[in-house]
Parts: sequence; structure tokens; C-alpha cells
Amino acid sequence: MTGPTSPSSLLPVASGAQVRAKARELAARHCGPLTRMLAMNALAAGAAVAGPRLLGAMVQGVRDGTTAGHIDRLALLLTGSILAQTALTWGARRSSFVLGETVFAELREGFLARVLSLPLSTVERAGTGDLVTRSTGDVEALARTVRFAVPEVLVALVTVALTVVAAFATGPLVALPMLAGVPLISVGTSWYLHRAPAGYLRERECYAAFNGSLAETVEGARTVEAMSLSERRIERMEGEIAAAYAAERVTLRLRSVWFPTVELAYALPVAASLLWGGWLVTAGHASLAQVTAVTLYAVQIADPVDRLISWLDEVQIGATALSRILGVGLVPDDRVATAQTPVDERIGATGVRFAYRQGHDVVHGVDLDLRPGERLAVVGPSGAGKSTLGRLLAGVHPPRTGSVTVGGVPLVDLALDRLRGHVVLVTQEHHVFVGTLAENLLLARPGATDAELRSALGAVEALGWADGLPRGLATELGSGGHPITPAQAQQLALARLVLADPHTLVLDEATSLLDPRAARHLERSLARVLRGRTVVAIAHRLHTAHDADRVAVVEDGRISELGSHDQLMAAGGAYAALWTSWREGSTEHTAPANAL
Amino acid sequence: MFGRYGGPGRYGSARGRAVRRTGSARETRCNPGTPRRTVTQVRHLPYGDPGRPDLRSPGRFLLRTAAQQWRTLAVGTVYGIAWMVAQALVPAAIGRGLDAGVAGHDLGAALRWSLVVLALALVQAVAGVARHRVAVDNWLRASFRSMQLLARHCAQVGVAVRAKLPTGEVVSAATNDALYIGGAFDISARLAGALVSYIVVAVLLLRTSAPLGVIVLVGVPAMLIALGPLLRPLQRRQRHQREVAGKLTALGADTVAGLRVLGGIGGEPAFLARYVARSGELRAAGVRVAGLQASLDAAQVLLPGVFLVVVTWLGARLALQGHLSPGDIVAFYGYAFFLVLPIRTAIEAADKITRSLVGARRIIGVLETVPEIAEPADPAPTPLPGAVLIDARSGLTVTPGRLTGLVASDPDQTAAIAHRLGRLADDKGDAGDKGDAGDQGDAGDGYDAGDEGGGGVTLGGTPLRRLPVDVVRRRILVAEAEPRLFTGVLRDELDPWDRTRGDGDLLAGLHVAAAADVLDALPEGLGSTVDEGGRSFSGGQRQRLALARAVLADPEILVLVEPTSAVDAHTEAVVARRLRGAREGRERTTVVTSASPLLLDRCDVVAYVEHDRVVATGTHRDLLRSNENYRDTVTRGEDL
Repeated sequence: MTGPTSPSSLLPVASGAQVRAKARELAARHCGPLTRMLAMNALAAGAAVAGPRLLGAMVQGVRDGTTAGHIDRLALLLTGSILAQTALTWGARRSSFVLGETVFAELREGFLARVLSLPLSTVERAGTGDLVTRSTGDVEALARTVRFAVPEVLVALVTVALTVVAAFATGPLVALPMLAGVPLISVGTSWYLHRAPAGYLRERECYAAFNGSLAETVEGARTVEAMSLSERRIERMEGEIAAAYAAERVTLRLRSVWFPTVELAYALPVAASLLWGGWLVTAGHASLAQVTAVTLYAVQIADPVDRLISWLDEVQIGATALSRILGVGLVPDDRVATAQTPVDERIGATGVRFAYRQGHDVVHGVDLDLRPGERLAVVGPSGAGKSTLGRLLAGVHPPRTGSVTVGGVPLVDLALDRLRGHVVLVTQEHHVFVGTLAENLLLARPGATDAELRSALGAVEALGWADGLPRGLATELGSGGHPITPAQAQQLALARLVLADPHTLVLDEATSLLDPRAARHLERSLARVLRGRTVVAIAHRLHTAHDADRVAVVEDGRISELGSHDQLMAAGGAYAALWTSWREGSTEHTAPANAL
Repeated sequence: MFGRYGGPGRYGSARGRAVRRTGSARETRCNPGTPRRTVTQVRHLPYGDPGRPDLRSPGRFLLRTAAQQWRTLAVGTVYGIAWMVAQALVPAAIGRGLDAGVAGHDLGAALRWSLVVLALALVQAVAGVARHRVAVDNWLRASFRSMQLLARHCAQVGVAVRAKLPTGEVVSAATNDALYIGGAFDISARLAGALVSYIVVAVLLLRTSAPLGVIVLVGVPAMLIALGPLLRPLQRRQRHQREVAGKLTALGADTVAGLRVLGGIGGEPAFLARYVARSGELRAAGVRVAGLQASLDAAQVLLPGVFLVVVTWLGARLALQGHLSPGDIVAFYGYAFFLVLPIRTAIEAADKITRSLVGARRIIGVLETVPEIAEPADPAPTPLPGAVLIDARSGLTVTPGRLTGLVASDPDQTAAIAHRLGRLADDKGDAGDKGDAGDQGDAGDGYDAGDEGGGGVTLGGTPLRRLPVDVVRRRILVAEAEPRLFTGVLRDELDPWDRTRGDGDLLAGLHVAAAADVLDALPEGLGSTVDEGGRSFSGGQRQRLALARAVLADPEILVLVEPTSAVDAHTEAVVARRLRGAREGRERTTVVTSASPLLLDRCDVVAYVEHDRVVATGTHRDLLRSNENYRDTVTRGEDL
């Protein structure tokens, strides 16, 4: 690939309407449990509002000189309400936790499924950084929202509503001060909510940047050590900590305004109902019991209101995370599978042009027919477009104009799994997955037997070290597992290829990490295993070209020369010059070079 | 507000946002009298030096951290007490207001007491916001200190960390565990307030009614103890859930990181199935937590509730006998209600402290990894520049000022020698328990030469193992076969040490590595951003950029492992010519491991290695003539 792409801008983000639609869909799908959970919470809140009424009655009774029996009965009722509240709280909490876990599991699984089915071209171009962030940071942010914030908000809403209803049921006139805090709370909270999400988002970005740097430091630890980069890494990570600190200060400032505002708003109804109640009782409009109850409701309501408003911004943040998670689902498919079936295994490119950035073609009108069973080497200077051509031939990118077809059907008209049955791309990028050696291989052919896996390893000359692993095929590899060398990882990638067994393979520098001799050896043994398969080998080592049936020289996004090694040498063009430059050091002073 | 407790637990919230939740107050400008004490103008984080952690146990780790920020903790305690005591007094004010104002039909008294309630709310708001700010400060200090410790440790001994732990777990130690540690510090101020306000309420109760006071004094701790049996299994299950969650996140990230591989070859269904299976395990773990968590929540309703009933019932009976006023009952109800706050705070504190202990254990797990390369116990003086570098084990002598080629048919052998030359790896043979037995004089004489398997590397006769590691690194730079690029602006990443070089120097470095074309393709040239380990570059581009970085480091001795393995022959020839030009004539010593004739032909001397020993030395052309194995190796087995 030529030059970097800009990964961050390539993945879309869902709109507010799409997020809300998803929320509605979730609510509808889990309608039963959701209703049960809310009902239990409503009942629990209902039991809780009995307290102030009973206490009001008690106070009135004491003042009016009631009997001890009456007090005992009221206390018993109070006990009953507590017990009911306890049982209902247990059920309500449990069901809300379970529901949260279920919904969250559904969302994260759906997300990964969608990521795994992202169009190849998007994956190639967007890089995996943004996706990793979405699969960790955003999924975790969503976890908090789904598991805690949404249930808390729903429960708090129910409780607030019931408390207000209970207060007004005690006496509409007496209950008026309950509303004294509303203006202050709504102004303060909306001020806060307008600013808070951006602030918390910034915090999260800062933490994500720090995490990325830390991960990079650990992953690249050997380079850090060898090149004495630790000071630089520390400086960078501490810079990110400083940024996180600054972001924390911003939100702290917001809270420093918002907290006292709502705090006063909670006190206002209490003070107001004492004063208002004093006047009402004095004027004979209300009883002591009513005023007591309402004052206590005014005190009690602060708690659910506080929960409600302090989880609201979490809901906002969850919505943002959800929009990024759902955004992955909005990537348009880069191909639509048609029902066409290839008539044979011939792959050919006609008039192919391609650009990563609009207006900057990196492949200019390439025509190329692969002969079934041939080995075609693609060579050329760095940045000439070899890898891009390889991706086009493997059906990763749809060409901008022209077409790449197999048996007459454009590659991008094939469903992904059928495409892979025809042509597979192996690049120099090797990723060893966390999992056993067997799992790392099975992805290419699910259900393969151990014998098949071993024979694939044998074909890429990896059986020796594989058998030497502590637990053979069952050895855990990947980050945190048994370490293997980059060259071994590359062999692993090739073993997957053997297992996948397509009729055409595109190898993009697939042996570059092996030493030249081993690479050549491996390529030859691979050639034996893959006899009859069509192989396109993009290589910087000219022996690959020498061994191939045909050589395509790519320069500046065009195939400038095409033919067998001997033909190209005879033509005396760029390839011949390249070959001579490579052989120069070792041939000019040695025994007569054999005929090239 | 006696109805409100310290905060809704925020059960799963790993983030410090959990700290915002509680009572609060006006802005800190309200504390003009004590500018030095408010700690609201905190020193900016990160710390210049995060200090030395105590790794002996999680408890000691936290104690050391606490000692390092004791002032902030102390100030937080003062605000926490003021904030919570103001809340504790509200029930008394309401009780008086009901008695004097409402029941006594005295509008003046009603006004007076409602103003008292407001005044208490104001105090609570002011102290609350101050407390919150200090709590955040406490939280940030503890969390960020841990994050800094992790960052520094990983930057310094990352190789050992990586060998021991998956990257995901290390990152999780910084993302989750460091923040859990902060949680314990966040809550300290509220915990102090809880204890004091509990005592204040107890005194008020005792003065009003001794039996009730005693009940409260005994009842509250009894409730706390009653909750104990629930907490331990809950925490165990939460721990399990957290571990499963961490693994699932790591699995997801790993799958996503390998997306290109999956995209190329398939296997998505298997990976999805694996993820879904683990995701199901996490859900099951969550459900197991849910039952206990719900029990804890229910217990937090039940115990204070029963307590409240007992107190008010007794209060009402006492009032009937004329010992108490109606307002006193309401006050008692209020106290009992208020006491939920200290109780829940204590429970939350127990939870947070437990979490932070768990977090500390995991952080210690990262921090206690020891570097593979040990510092010498008694360092030798630094050899003069131009010293000869000798690897006794292979018999390689690197002549100062020369370009030395190192060839083996198995490149692992030359790579191993290269790593030894820069002490990137100690030999298994000599990394023994004895360490560097201090039996060496300054003029080491083929250190350990007799010790089989020893074969130390010496620089000017001094074993590398007896030189401080940073001295070795400064003088001998080994650029590995797969050097990584790091996120950042290209200009900074090419010269990451002091970043003082001008663009001219950088361009010259890129020129040596034949990487100018990489730069041409970048929209912003040297100002472009390298992202994600340079992933947006091709392998060859990455290799050339990394080579440019190594050349720009300009060390006395530069060891390049397969520096051109991923570039095409044409470019390789250019690099070989320019590399020589860049290093020669300036007393710069260069070692290149490669089997490429293009590079080797440019070397002053080539050492050919078989079975880990140098078996032939000479110029490339000499060796081609005289050594058949060498010829085979460098002609890459071309049986043409």
C-alpha cells in the first residue's frame, strides 16, 4: 500500500434517531422482563412511601394523646411496609441486573458479529485501531449504561413519581412546597447536561489515548529496550496523563457548580414545607400529620431525584458509545453477492484502475490474465502498487473501473466465503491469535483433524518447532501465551493457507520474515503442496521471480513488463536491470554465472 | 439532607466518575480564608516522580500510597466531617420546627427553623463541594500515581512484563485497577464524616433519651456486622466477573486486531462462536453476581428499615409517656433515616477498599516483574570510545570504525550474536544465579572465557555485564529485525531521544534509508502522524523508517539485524551504499547481520558463523572465493 490512510474518519457513527430506534427495539424485545422489573420497582417504591404517612399518624396520635396499642399497630404496619419493600427491592434489583446483563451480552455479541462481517476493503483501509477502541472503550461505556444507568434511571423515575403522588394524596395544598426545588434543579441540571457529555467524552478519549500508548509500549517493549526509548515513552504517556488530568479538572468545575445548585434545590422543599405547613396548621387548613408526612416526603424525594439526575449524563454517554457501536453496522457493503457461478477457475483483470483517495489512482489500467496453475511473480520498486494489485486480484477491493473476474464472474460479486474458496490473500502481516496452535490453524478449515493440521504444518516446515512446543497443538499462543518468532508466525499464516486450499493464492511478501534460504526452501515445498494451484507471489526477492513461470514488473501502478524470466532478461528492460543489480555483488567475482 | 446517602454505589463503575455523586457546595472561591489548606488548587498531575511503591503486599502498597498524599487525605477528612455533621443536624432542626412552629402554632418559630434548615443545607453544600473536590483530588492522585508507576515500569522493563503477562492484562491494570485504587482514596473523606456524624447523632440521642441512644449506638455497628456475610461471597463473585470481563475484552480486541487475517482467510464463524461462548460465561457470572448484589441492596433496605421502626416506635411510646415531644419522634425518625448514610458509606468503603486491594494485587503483579537485564552490582568504569567489542562465545571481534558483516546460514544465530553484542539478551548460560560474580578486575580478560556457555561480551575488555545498562544502550544500539514504530508525529518518532534535530538532518537520515519516497507519499511530510505501530505503512516502508531512526540515533556502535529484509533489491543496493557513507570516516562502528550480497559487498570485513561460532573472516569477495558454505549462504542457495 502506498502511504498511510487516515483510519479514524472511515468508520461511521450512528445518528441520534438510529440510537433511539435501537433502544426502542431493545425495549420491545425485552418487553416482558422490563415490565416485570418496573412493576416490582413501583411496588417497592409504593411500600416505601407508606413510611412518612404512618409516621405522620404517629406524631398526630402522640399529640392528640392516643393509646400505646395504636402506636404499636402503626409500628407493626411500618414493619410490614419495610418487609414488603425489602422483598420487592430484592426482586426488582435482581431482575434489573439480569436484564442489564442480558441486553449487554446481546449488544456486545451483535457488535462483534458485525465487526467480523465488515467489508474487506473497509478493514484493510480503516485499520484496526478505531475498531479496537470501539470494541473495548465503547463496549465498556455501554456496559455501565445498560447494566446500571438505564435501570437506575427507570427505577428513580418510578420512585419520584410515586413519592409526588403520595405527597399530593396526603393533601394537595400541603404538598405544594414539594415543587419548590423544580426550577433550580431543572435549570442547573440542563446547564450541566449540556456541557457534561463533551467533558466526559474528552476524559474517555484521554484515557483511551493513554491505554493505547501503554499497550503500544508493552507490545513494542523490545524496541523500547533496544533503542533506549523508555524516556520518550514515559514522556508520552505522562503527557497523556496530564491531558486526562486537565479533562478531569474541566468536569470537576462543572460539578462544582452543579452540585451545590441541586443541593440547595433539595433543601428548599423541606424548608418551604415547614414554613408553609406552619402557616396552614396555624390557619387551620391542615393537620400536623399532613405537614409531617409532606415534610418527610420532601426529604425522601431528594434521593431518587439525585439518582435520576446523576445517572442522566451516563445515559447520554452510553448513547454516544452506542452510536459508535451501531455505526459499525452502517458501513455499506462493498459488494453485493449475485447468484452468478464462475464457469472455471480462470482469474483475469481487465482495465483495472483503483484509488484509495479520490482522484489519486494508484493502479492505472491493468490487464492481466492468470493461467490456471501458473506461478506469477510480481516485482517492482517499493510503492509501485504491487500490494494494491494483489488485493485487487484477491477481491479485497472492488476496482474503481474495469473488473477482476473468476470464471467470468467479478470477484466482488461473490459472497465472502465463496470468494475465499477461489482466491485467498496472505500478507506479511501476521497476527497470532490468543488461543491454541490448533485454534490458530482451524480458522482456515473449521473441523480439520489433528492429522490434517499436522500435515499442513509439515508442508510449511513448521512441524519441527510445533512438536517442540510444550503442549504441541494445544499450546496457547498469542499475547500472553507461548511466544513464537515472527518467522514462525509467518509459517503459521502459510499453514492456514494450505488448510484453506483455494485454487488461487495471492502471497504478498508472505515469506519476507524468513531468512532468504529458508524462504526459498519453504516456497519450493509450498509449491509442491500447492501443485496445480495458481499462485501470485508479490516478492522483493528476485529468486521468487526466477522460480516463477511468469514475472510481472509493476512500476508506477502499471504492468510494465510481463513474461518469463528468460524473456524479460532477453528484453533487457527494468527487470533485467533489477536482476543484475541484485546478482551483481555475488556474481561479478565468482565463477561464471550460469545462464540466467 | 438526612434522606440522602453518600451515593448509589455505582456498582460496576470502574471510572472515577463514581466520585461525583454526593453533597456539594458552592464553588471553592468560598474559602478565601484558607487558600493553602483547601487543596483545591492542587499541584498538577502527573507527578514529577511517582515515588517508589511498596510491593510487599496490596495493603502495604495502599498504605505507601496513602502516606504519599496524607495532606490531601487529611483535608478531605475535615470537609467530609463538616459535610456529614451538617446533614446529621437537619433532623433536629426539623423536629424543633415541627414542635415549635407547626404543633405550637408559632409562625415566627416556623420561619426561624425553616431558615435553620436552609442554613444547614448551605453549610452542607459548601462543605460538600469542597469535600467532593478534595475527594476527586485524592482519587486522581492515587489512580494517576498507579498509572504512572505502570507506565514507567512498562517503558523500562516492558520486555519482562510482556513475557509474563498478556498486553490486555497490563492495560487493564492501568484502566481498571489503577482507578479502583483511587476509589479507596475517594471515599476516605466520606468515611471519616460517617464515623464522626455517627458519634454526633449518638450524643444527641443519648441526651434526649438514654435507652434510644444506646440502641442506636449498638444497632448501627450490629447492622454493619450483619451485612458482612453477604459481602465476602459478593466480592468473590465480582472478582470472578471482572476477570471474565477482562478476558472477554481482551479476546474481542485480539479478534479485532487480527481482523485482516480473518478477512483474508476466513474463520470468522469460529471466532464469533468462541466470543459468544465466553460472552455467555460473562453473562452467567453477571447473573451470579446479580442475586447477591440484590440481596445486599435488599439488606440495605431491611436493616436500616427495621432499625428505623424500632427507634420511632420506642420514641413514640416514650412520647406517649411524656418523655418526648412529637417533634422528637420525627427527629428520631430522621436520625434513623440519616444513619443510613454513614452505614452505606461504611459498606461502600468496605467494597471500595476491597476492590482497591484486588487492584493493588494485580498492579503489583505487573510492577514486580524484574528486568531480564540486571544492572551490575559494582559497575566498572566506562571504556574509552573506540573500544573493541568482542563476543567471546562466538569469537566475533568488532573492529572500531569498521562496517562488519555477520552471516550465518541460520539468521537466528547471527541475531542471537547481535542481541548479545548490545546486551539485549543475556545468555542463558551466564545469566546464572551468581550474576556477575565480582571476580573481575577492570581489565577483564575474556570474561568467563573458561566458563563454558559463558562467553560474555566485552567492550574494551570490560564485560558488558559490568557496565550500567544505560551506558551499554547509549554506546551500542541494536536495531532488531522487527523494529516497531510508535504513534506520534513522524518528525518526533524519527528522533525520539531529544527531538532537537532539524528537518535537514532528518531528511538526511531518511535518505540513507532510501525512505524519501515514503515521505513523498505523506500528505504532511515530516509532520504526518504515524499511527498504531506504523501499521499504515507497508513492511518495507516501516523497515526503512526504522532504519532511518537507527541511523539518526548515530550511536558509537550500531548493530543492524537484517536491516533490508523487507525491501526490494534495488532499494537494498541503495541502502547499502548510503549506510556505509553515513557511518564511515567518523569512528562509527557498524555491524550488519544479513545474507545479502549487496550489503555484504559493502562491508569492510565479513564474519561467517556456523554453529554459533565465527568460522571464517575476510572481505565478502575473499570469502566468496575461499569458503564454499559462505558462498552457498549468500547466493541464497541459488542452484541456478
